[in-house]
Amino acid sequence: MSTSIASTDLATEPVTGRLGRFGRWQVAATRWVNWVIVGVLVALTLVALLAPVIAPYDPVQPVGAPYLPVGSSGHLLGTDNIGRDLFSRVILGVRTSWLMALVVVAVGLLIGGVVGVVAGAFGGWVDAILMRITDMFLALPAAIVAIAVAAALGPGLRNTFLAITVVWWPYYARIIRGEIRALAARPHVEAARMAGAGRLRIMAKHLLPGVYPTALVTASLDIGAVVLTLASLSFLGLGQSAPAPELGADTSRGMNELLAHWWIPVMPGLAVMVLSLVANLAGDAVRTLMAGRR
Amino acid sequence: MFNLAMARFLLTRLAALVGLLLVLSLLLFVLQEISGADPVAASMPHAEKSAIDAKRHELGLDDPAPTRYVRYVGDLLHLDLGTSFRTHHAVTTDLKTYLPPTVELVVVALVVALALALLFSVSSVLRWPGSGLYRGLLFVGSTTPTFLLGIFGLIVFYQDLGWLPASGQVDDPDTVPASWHWLLLDSLVHGDLGMFGDVAKHLVMPALALAIGPALAIGRIFRSSIVATFDSDFVRTARSKGLAEGAVLTRHVLRNSVNGALSMTGLHLGFMFAGVLVVESVFSRPGLGSYLGASLDVSDFPAVAGVTFVLATIYIVTNTVVDILQGIADPRITV
Amino acid sequence: MGNSAPVAEPAEPGLSAQEPVVSVRDLTVSLARGGVRSEVIRGVDLEIGRGEILAVVGESGSGKSVMSLTLMGLLPERSRPKVGGTARVAGVDMVSAKADQQRKVRRNDLGVVFQDPMTSLNPTTRVGKQIVEAAGSKQEAVRLMKEVGIPQPEQRFSAFPHELSGGLRQRVMIAMAIAGNPQLIIADEPTTALDVTVQAQVLRVLRDLREQLGCSILLITHDLGVAAQVADRIVVMQQGEIVEQGAALDVLESPQHPYTQRLLRARLSLDTDRGRSLPTGADQEIVVLDRARARQGRILELTEVHCDFKVKDAQGRRALLHALRGVTADVTEGESLALVGESGSGKSTLLRAIAGLETRWEGRIDKPGRDDIQMVFQDAGASLTPWMTVEETLHERLRRTKLSKADRRRRIEETLALMGLPEATLKARPAELSGGQRQRVALARATIVPPKVLLCDEPTSALDVSLAAAVLNLIHRLRHEFSMTVVFVTHDLGVARFVSDRVAVMYLGRLVETGPVEEVIGSPRHPYTRALVDAVPSARKELPVIVGEPASPLSPPSGCAFHPRCPLATDECTTTLEGTQLVALDHDVAERERHEVACLFREGVKA
Repeated sequence: MSTSIASTDLATEPVTGRLGRFGRWQVAATRWVNWVIVGVLVALTLVALLAPVIAPYDPVQPVGAPYLPVGSSGHLLGTDNIGRDLFSRVILGVRTSWLMALVVVAVGLLIGGVVGVVAGAFGGWVDAILMRITDMFLALPAAIVAIAVAAALGPGLRNTFLAITVVWWPYYARIIRGEIRALAARPHVEAARMAGAGRLRIMAKHLLPGVYPTALVTASLDIGAVVLTLASLSFLGLGQSAPAPELGADTSRGMNELLAHWWIPVMPGLAVMVLSLVANLAGDAVRTLMAGRR
Repeated sequence: MFNLAMARFLLTRLAALVGLLLVLSLLLFVLQEISGADPVAASMPHAEKSAIDAKRHELGLDDPAPTRYVRYVGDLLHLDLGTSFRTHHAVTTDLKTYLPPTVELVVVALVVALALALLFSVSSVLRWPGSGLYRGLLFVGSTTPTFLLGIFGLIVFYQDLGWLPASGQVDDPDTVPASWHWLLLDSLVHGDLGMFGDVAKHLVMPALALAIGPALAIGRIFRSSIVATFDSDFVRTARSKGLAEGAVLTRHVLRNSVNGALSMTGLHLGFMFAGVLVVESVFSRPGLGSYLGASLDVSDFPAVAGVTFVLATIYIVTNTVVDILQGIADPRITV
Repeated sequence: MGNSAPVAEPAEPGLSAQEPVVSVRDLTVSLARGGVRSEVIRGVDLEIGRGEILAVVGESGSGKSVMSLTLMGLLPERSRPKVGGTARVAGVDMVSAKADQQRKVRRNDLGVVFQDPMTSLNPTTRVGKQIVEAAGSKQEAVRLMKEVGIPQPEQRFSAFPHELSGGLRQRVMIAMAIAGNPQLIIADEPTTALDVTVQAQVLRVLRDLREQLGCSILLITHDLGVAAQVADRIVVMQQGEIVEQGAALDVLESPQHPYTQRLLRARLSLDTDRGRSLPTGADQEIVVLDRARARQGRILELTEVHCDFKVKDAQGRRALLHALRGVTADVTEGESLALVGESGSGKSTLLRAIAGLETRWEGRIDKPGRDDIQMVFQDAGASLTPWMTVEETLHERLRRTKLSKADRRRRIEETLALMGLPEATLKARPAELSGGQRQRVALARATIVPPKVLLCDEPTSALDVSLAAAVLNLIHRLRHEFSMTVVFVTHDLGVARFVSDRVAVMYLGRLVETGPVEEVIGSPRHPYTRALVDAVPSARKELPVIVGEPASPLSPPSGCAFHPRCPLATDECTTTLEGTQLVALDHDVAERERHEVACLFREGVKA
């Protein structure tokens, strides 16, 4: 074949600016900070997984004098009204909240993802029916419905999990369906069809990879919200029954002690806040990192 | 403003409202089935099984599910929410007692939340020394659970400063006339300013604890849409006409930024309904929260379903109103 | 002229020519985008005299729009602009003056017309109210609307922007710009988002305003033709610097700077030499183009193709959009056919129907098999899958061939070389490529397994002149290299004339004129084709008078759809069926040489 006829004009294309030294430094620093935050998220997950090993005492047995304040030797966060170690209870409470939040988001993403992808990819009446159902869920107040579902199913961790997942997946279905529709309307999908790609190949190679970043960002931003919702339900008495350690329920039970022994309700409450804070920071970090990639 | 497109828009919204209420009733019906709650067994704790079965037959509880669902919807239309297992009152009667304080708290909190949202959004759009730290604080605030906000409030404003009361609706419940349900409203209507002040004082902390989370979320959305709108072409046009920045903000930016914040407000009303239950518990206020808590403890499903029905209905109606407001704010939506 | 003057008086042209309205001295601007700072304007000197129309011409990245924003004092704060030098407008330096003073200039002395009237108007505010903001009163606003040629201004006053056509929206922008009789109007690509016939109308409005108000106009444009037609003086910018300026005709007819020369040569007009490849760079080799005649035999046959879409109209009611209303056409093997028309003509729908991307049509389309038809899209960037590398994209087309791995590899390398893309492109994703490179990759994908028919949907309309020229050369070359048939959709007659042998002009879903391209463009018979030809801007050509805008395909006019805009229309045209059928002017010539017209007056107006 013959040589190029068209390379010289590339020189006339607009020259974009070059990164100054400061700009490059700033970009690198932002990336670094974001990776550290994502690292904290991973570390928190490890803590949750290893909680039984990390906790110094049995969380449900009295192991010291009651009402030991924060900073007591051997009891970093003090003890509660019957002398159980608060640090051990908080660590195991973190384990429950965090792992459950991750599972709720993962399962919600899976269900919502399948519904969203099927609706988005098929369109037509499949899309109409699936999205009508999704919209109904979205139009109901999620937290209230979760309470009703949990009440109907009865107490227990499994039922709380079910209650939250039932109200949570529609958000993902909506978002992922929207993303798929937006991608499917882009010319690149038609171009792929012209290039001979079949339905499945278009799905796998030209649509799905575009959804992953959105799904990942949405999910990571959402973990914090799930943590807070779980804590509220557990605060209201829907969750594990006593004496199992759980952050929301421990705060609620500790309310009677608030004025005399503030640390008993505050410590588990603070733990919820830390979880939610880390999750939100990590969500923002993931979003920034993904934005750089796209 | 009113034309054919608008009428069509309103009609579809109202149809959707009716549809959603039906879905809600179906959901509650299904949950009631799942819960296995048996009003007859609950009302006749010591009766023989055959007597219970006879009573069930008499009440039509052994009819097929569709028949019972239709009857259930009919009952709901007559505002018959069943009988509480715990109080043995009609749930509707119980709700008449417990709904007003909760609604008063939510409404006050909503107003506070909107005011704070406006404050947070505008103050964080502007750049001033320390605004970075301020935005950081707002971020931390948005991740704090409602009950922890309440706890901090109690420690600071009740225990340390002694400015605000810790619990209840009023200092002495016995002084409240029995016919008053809407304490804030009734005390105002009857000109009892002392009582009004008392009620208001008791509302400050709960309302703030309930409002801060939604205020930050709404404020964040409002802020980012204001920032985005400031970048849009038509704002550049407005500036090119020589309009002052204040006029650009009020005439062009705010109206085009308000939609995202409105949807967020509708959404957060749902979170506030859940949050109010928590807040009532933290501040030991009478209301749906305490009613629901007590009902949950004894698996009193009719009561739980009643609370769910009322709150969800308020939520759905409010969101329909928000939808319609958005249609008025942006003429393109009604098309 | 001090800035303390309460209201600027409209000056007579030439009255105080010694005192320019705009005076820019040694202007430099640098902007930061995502931590990257670059010099966008490097030392520009410029003057605009009273009543003068100055056109600033340049390609993307030339800094022309940044300069206009500097003159308005509206450089986006987010990009942390650093500005040096002075830019005086009506005596006020828009670089150093206080914000208040700058605003006073924008209020009293300056009017602006931006490129996209849809996004530049507030979508939630009635247009009348938006004009009042500049005009002061409703009365004045209505007067201005009348002045810029908005029909029924009283009714339009309370319309929302989305309820108006593109041309009317841009007139609303102009009405706001001329409120308060400003000394200067800045028009930043005012016609780029408009159809060609509407472009002529808007340019005419702008130029007439100069006559009536005596204001100066700064016209920013990428199109030398537009500049030539309207401006007194032309400034050519390249990468932030002025490379040439002078009287409009001088610059066009004897350009001094090599960049201007290159721009002019790369630009397609109705006089461009069709016999040679388009010059694109300084050292570009010009080759003689092979315009050998097509072979015999039809490769595409369209019979009575109709296509309706179900849509919602402005009131939210269900409506039918009539995209194609009975199209019958043939394409001979090896020929190149251009489909020409404005928005709503159905040209893209027809192309998509041929490609098989659109399936909701009725009628008959005979065409070769799926693998033998390929297509390149208008927005090449969007037509490439963002997360796939160029190599993966090209591989996709080779999947169904029986080539060995090594052969595929070789084929990809050869194709890349043919397209003039460096080897490193293979590992790149679309976002890392320039606009011109993306369109080359799209072409590479379409032709790596050469198809019998190549469909092109405005592949150059988003590209700068010199890049567009290179892509057109490439398409021409590929066509001959692989003996392909080409169907090329464009709104630009200059492009159509260069790429095609035959042209088919479409209006509201029907073909109104077809024939050999030089014959149709040289002596158009249909009044619409004539309007299109007249609307092509060029120097020494008076702005044409074309009325109306293309009607909505939701309710095409009866009979000949062009009759409401047609200078020749009679009552018969409103109902005619005959006038909508293509009839050959001369039946004796070979079929593909025939010139066919769908008009009652195809033989000229009868006396």
